[in-house]
Amino acid sequence: MRPDEGFTFAFNNREPVYLQVVRHFKIWIATGRLRAGQTIPSRRELAVLAKINPNTAQRAYREMEEQRLIVTEGNSPSRITGDERILRSVRSELLEEAVDRFMELIGHIDVSTEELVALVRQKHAALRNGGNTGHD
Amino acid sequence: MIEILNLRKRFFRKQVLDGVSFAVEPGLITCLAGLNGAGKSTILKAIMGLVPVDGGSIRIDGRETALHLTGNRGQLNRYRAHKVAFIPDRPAMPPSMKMRDALRFMADFYGDVWNGEKARDMMAFFELGEDERLGNLSKGTAAKFNLVLGLALETPYVLMDEPFSGIDLFSREAIADVFSTGWLEGRGVLITTHEIREVEHLIDRVVLLKDGVVAKTFDSEEMRLAENKSIVDVMREVYRP
Repeated sequence: MRPDEGFTFAFNNREPVYLQVVRHFKIWIATGRLRAGQTIPSRRELAVLAKINPNTAQRAYREMEEQRLIVTEGNSPSRITGDERILRSVRSELLEEAVDRFMELIGHIDVSTEELVALVRQKHAALRNGGNTGHD
Repeated sequence: MIEILNLRKRFFRKQVLDGVSFAVEPGLITCLAGLNGAGKSTILKAIMGLVPVDGGSIRIDGRETALHLTGNRGQLNRYRAHKVAFIPDRPAMPPSMKMRDALRFMADFYGDVWNGEKARDMMAFFELGEDERLGNLSKGTAAKFNLVLGLALETPYVLMDEPFSGIDLFSREAIADVFSTGWLEGRGVLITTHEIREVEHLIDRVVLLKDGVVAKTFDSEEMRLAENKSIVDVMREVYRP
């Protein structure tokens, strides 16, 4: 899990950093970058990688353990869970979060479900056909 | 724990500290912030016994150490030297000294408190050579070396006065990286800085000084969790006239 393998962190200043770390891991799980059973860095290594306070790294790992995203047995390094049910739920959770945010943004725009779905379908097709979403 | 209780200090007509109270806890990085002249450096110097105070108490792991111009200074100085490392905002050694000699001086002066291995590790981390004279160092390099001198002291508490001030971006980043490493592990750190953005993700607790008292104290992660506010957001609320 090195930065040159694409595992880089970006944080905003208004959300708890430990929750942002958890979200990074969820995205990497949902996109298959982190696989079931894969070893992850120690808390100390994560603090250095993400350039965060070691206490925050500790808290992020505790949170991921509570959500059963990672497992730590004895003194061996922490791993991504092997529980497929949890891994699948990460994907649907992220999707739902993204749609919620989308809904918040369009909440005050007068638009029918049909129009919205048509637009989403068009954008999604464009995305799958090579990443062109209509923006430059 | 360093407990500061009701600290008071007047410079001529100005009541700089008018009853300041807060604590520095082991294992936490606490940031002491305030506008220019708020008394941040005065507090650090008072903890080190470098300036006398007019009132209040400074308890370091249970022992009263506030300097009131009386009392047994020698014993207290020894006690402080084992408990607290002070990293001033610029190196305090003579400019003609080479880095190597400064390291040797620290080892001789501090004895057991000095951790030579840690000093070597940090010199390597910052990519510092030992042959240069202190007077020839760039500001950024001097700031890094200054940090080596302070952090290689094995004290439970570390005070840093403006470690990011007046240095280039890359030096600031290198210094910020120190806060993610194990070099500060388990220690109680008190840092003053203007460059809050540099340390937003690195500090555990914030103490905001205003008009000679502590206007607000909070845990940065709890503030983000409960109110969705960054440290800078809170500072704007407290300091904007």
